[in-house]
Amino acid sequence: MKQRFQLLMMFCLALIAGEKTTAQERLIILNEGLWQADNGRVTYFEDGKIVSNEWFREINGYKLGDTPNDIIQINDNLIAIAVNWSNIVQFITPQGKAVAATEDVPNNRKLATDGRYVYISSYGHEVAINGSFMEFTKGYVAKIDTETFKVVSAVEVGYEPEGIAYYEGHLFVANTGGYAFQENHEYETTVSIINAETMKVVRTVDTGQINLYGKMSQSGQYLCINSPGDYYDVQATTIIFDCKAALNGAPDAYCFHSLEYAATYNTVDTEGNFYAIGSRYSYYTGEYEFNYLRINPEELFESDGCDGVDEDFPGSVLSDIKQMMMPYGLYINPYSGYIYATDAASFTSAGKLYQWSPNGELIGTYKVYINPAHFLALPHDGHLGGVSMTERNEFRTDSTGYNLQGMKVNNLLPGQIYIQNGKKFIYN
Amino acid sequence: MAVTLLAVVPDMNAYTVDSELVSDSTVTLHDVEVTATRKPLATVQVLSGVKLQSLSSTSIADALKYFAGVQIKDYGGLGGLKTINVRSLGSQHVGVYIDGIRITNAQNGTVDLGKYSLSTLESVSLFNANKLEKGQSASEYASGATVYMRTRKPTGDSLSVLAGAGSFHSYRGRLNLQFNRRGWQGFIDGEYLHSKGDYRFRYKSEYEDTAGRRKNSDIEYYRIEGALFKKGFAAHVYSYISKRGCPGGIVRRLSDKYTNIGREWDTDMFAQASWQHSFNSKHFIKLNTKYSHEYLRYNTNFDENQNTARVDNHYYQNDGYISASYCFSPLQWLYLNTSYDARMSWLTADLKNFSYVRRFDQKAVIDAQFQRYGLRADVSLLYQHYKDHTKIQAGAADPISRFTPAVSVGYFWKGFSARAWYKKIFRVPTLNDLYYTQAGNRNLKPEYTRQWNVGLEYAFGSGAWHAAAQADAYINHIDNRIVCLPLRGTYTWSMMNYGKTFCRGLNATLSGQFTPGKWIFSLLGSVTLQHDVNRTDPEDEDTYDLPICYSPKFSCGITGIVSWKNYSLTISELHVSKRIWSYADPDDILAPYNNIDLKFTGRWRWFIASLEINDLLDVQYEHIPRYPMPGRTVRFTLTYTLGKTR
Repeated sequence: MKQRFQLLMMFCLALIAGEKTTAQERLIILNEGLWQADNGRVTYFEDGKIVSNEWFREINGYKLGDTPNDIIQINDNLIAIAVNWSNIVQFITPQGKAVAATEDVPNNRKLATDGRYVYISSYGHEVAINGSFMEFTKGYVAKIDTETFKVVSAVEVGYEPEGIAYYEGHLFVANTGGYAFQENHEYETTVSIINAETMKVVRTVDTGQINLYGKMSQSGQYLCINSPGDYYDVQATTIIFDCKAALNGAPDAYCFHSLEYAATYNTVDTEGNFYAIGSRYSYYTGEYEFNYLRINPEELFESDGCDGVDEDFPGSVLSDIKQMMMPYGLYINPYSGYIYATDAASFTSAGKLYQWSPNGELIGTYKVYINPAHFLALPHDGHLGGVSMTERNEFRTDSTGYNLQGMKVNNLLPGQIYIQNGKKFIYN
Repeated sequence: MAVTLLAVVPDMNAYTVDSELVSDSTVTLHDVEVTATRKPLATVQVLSGVKLQSLSSTSIADALKYFAGVQIKDYGGLGGLKTINVRSLGSQHVGVYIDGIRITNAQNGTVDLGKYSLSTLESVSLFNANKLEKGQSASEYASGATVYMRTRKPTGDSLSVLAGAGSFHSYRGRLNLQFNRRGWQGFIDGEYLHSKGDYRFRYKSEYEDTAGRRKNSDIEYYRIEGALFKKGFAAHVYSYISKRGCPGGIVRRLSDKYTNIGREWDTDMFAQASWQHSFNSKHFIKLNTKYSHEYLRYNTNFDENQNTARVDNHYYQNDGYISASYCFSPLQWLYLNTSYDARMSWLTADLKNFSYVRRFDQKAVIDAQFQRYGLRADVSLLYQHYKDHTKIQAGAADPISRFTPAVSVGYFWKGFSARAWYKKIFRVPTLNDLYYTQAGNRNLKPEYTRQWNVGLEYAFGSGAWHAAAQADAYINHIDNRIVCLPLRGTYTWSMMNYGKTFCRGLNATLSGQFTPGKWIFSLLGSVTLQHDVNRTDPEDEDTYDLPICYSPKFSCGITGIVSWKNYSLTISELHVSKRIWSYADPDDILAPYNNIDLKFTGRWRWFIASLEINDLLDVQYEHIPRYPMPGRTVRFTLTYTLGKTR
């Protein structure tokens, strides 16, 4: 019923707005598949329907590979996918067409970009640059030029670097040391800061929290970093990191705030708030409890860690997530504010994609594939430039209105409902 | 009746009904009417003697795959792990025994069948319920299904030397020395095998054409064993030392630049002895003891490895076992069996956050069997107690104490028999399940199985003709399955009790033999029909009541053997229907396959030559997605023997 209503609404709005009826809500989802089963798959979702759960294969005639781990849009014409167990960085167009692939960055993890170069964190120990190998004891970050799709330089960071973000000409890399439970080294506690142009580490900030692992969200100058601890003595922590402070030379302790929650799955909304879900677990007790977080990073820093954290998820998002068998991903479309989460269910059955409107009304659930984990929303007008993630203030000053479908509306009509700054309002 | 506890098994034993199972009389299949009242109450399948040796066979997995209700899980290649699953109970519910003493692995609970050779065995049998033999140990009551391997007792003095070569750079050598003097029988058997296992594979479909050569599938092993028998005494010393590669799944790669190397070193040793004695027709005792040592090293610390953590872990397991059984028959129609088993297992490993674990496992059983006219009934009650001790910080799991029953009834009339049985049994969480670093969960409960079975059997023998047929219908339930699942909202995995399975099935076997003059024609067939469904979560429409992954609905095997004088030819065909491997997409299936094996053997003077071809059609089927089997494999062996082997 809801879907039908939504379609009707869309139709009406399309008539009113008089815009061309191209798709508005466009989303690419990476299904990790099962390890070593070579069944990583790409789902393409458009305006309330799954266009394909084998999008990459359908368009290109071959499979993506084993365990895709991250996806990022570089510019209007290019998207990169890190296919971890296949050792492949796959480049596709926003239409899904494969344009290049490289295996020069084995054990690739997460991606960041400045629009021309792609920066990739890797747990591996070697990288191929112009046919010759560079070896590292720990992990590294590689820089790929998207004009040649070749690695141009790389720099060693900590052991097993994971999350990576680009801010003001610098890369912020969360080091995990995640192999510490097997290998002969300790967990890492640091964020490495790299000058993206020179590819030199300019600073290493010690967060005091181990194993900075998993998805890392960026809200302008702020990062939301998950530290799951070691699952024994050290409990999970959420770190809100201030890139600007770190670049300005603030002492380590002033570069971040630690919260006693897990942020296993986290994302950022159109207003710049972080949303996170997760649980703290210890093998000693075997007990764990979910936590849900909404963090306003600015407020958090202004209040010196006292304010800015609550559990206010919009609408039914929280209660719907609580009913999932196995929450596996959380995402907010930066262009429209639509909220998404995935349920990996029983891991051998198809995962489910949940979609909510920006005010948290459940719109629908859709069957995807095994272990749906990573998201990328495509800009509705095809241009990345419209909304940029680089400056948080842009959200604040963005007075552009969107219709309920996330379509950008230049001439607001009185009496109609629009979305501005992620909130609904009636234009008078 | 003469008391011969381990009857000498004639070569022509039928496939399904075997006189070896008769514990207190020496009979052959020709005496069908005698055996009829002594047939086992269990559902049993046996391969023995010449039939066992004439199957294409390097490991016992090759023999067991032809049994009804059996699924072999094989990661491909000679070095790949091979485990047996019976009636979808799961490999950890299958007990594997050598001469009545269990092969255990407290660490992971499974037995890699690839480590045991067929060449020294007299028979391999599979029991779906309790064997119910006099003097059975309590452990033998404690598995959902049981595989018995019985070592061959030499009947003469001989020396044999074997050399063989095969596909994928495989070479094998074997030396066997055996004797039979003054009531003592024994042998020493040593084997060496080296194989690169570098077979070619190809995945070709509308969206893929991946061809390559398997890497990391090599194996090298030494096996040395010796056994000694006298009357009721049997002793066996066994040692298996191997090193091998652990192949991974075939996944998309742009080139073969990066290969993940994982290597494994194993040392498995045991020494066991048993003694059994009948004091008179009323009292029978049996004592067993065993000590085993296992060492495993798993190493991924190679410069080539970019994808994995570089580890070099060593695991040591020691296991001491004793058991005593006493059987008392106060009346001709009644016998009572009781047994006590104790086992102590020690495990240490240099994993992080791991420490020494010790498990003390005690079992006791009482069993009563009644026999009146053609009717037999058996009731048994098994008590098990497990207690762990560990220095791991999380602490030891709570001790487990449980009683489980089993009931069997049968009716025997001439060549016919009918049976029904019920068995409830559990498997305890293994030491890995409970304590393994970053996965172990010490709050696990045992995984329970309940099995119901009704079966019919008929055996016929007259002159040169022999035939036997049996069919069993069964139902089994598995509760509290022990599985590894990610934890909600964390990036970590843990062992958990999750899942219920319901299975209905039909197993049937048929065997026939015609022996005109110097010819032997023999045919063995088995069929499994199974409906095996997931009953975990009624709310989950994507999985509930749907087939269990990897479980085929239908499988069948046919083996034909023709022999004339000193020559024999065996052709075996195994068909397995499609299996799903995920619920997410109807295309996530493993294709049905046919596997044809051929073996030709010729004997001339002191020489035996044999030529084997496995997977004649070069199907390269998969048991696990992206782990292709080697495909057509050719092996030639030549044996030179001095003396009398049988």
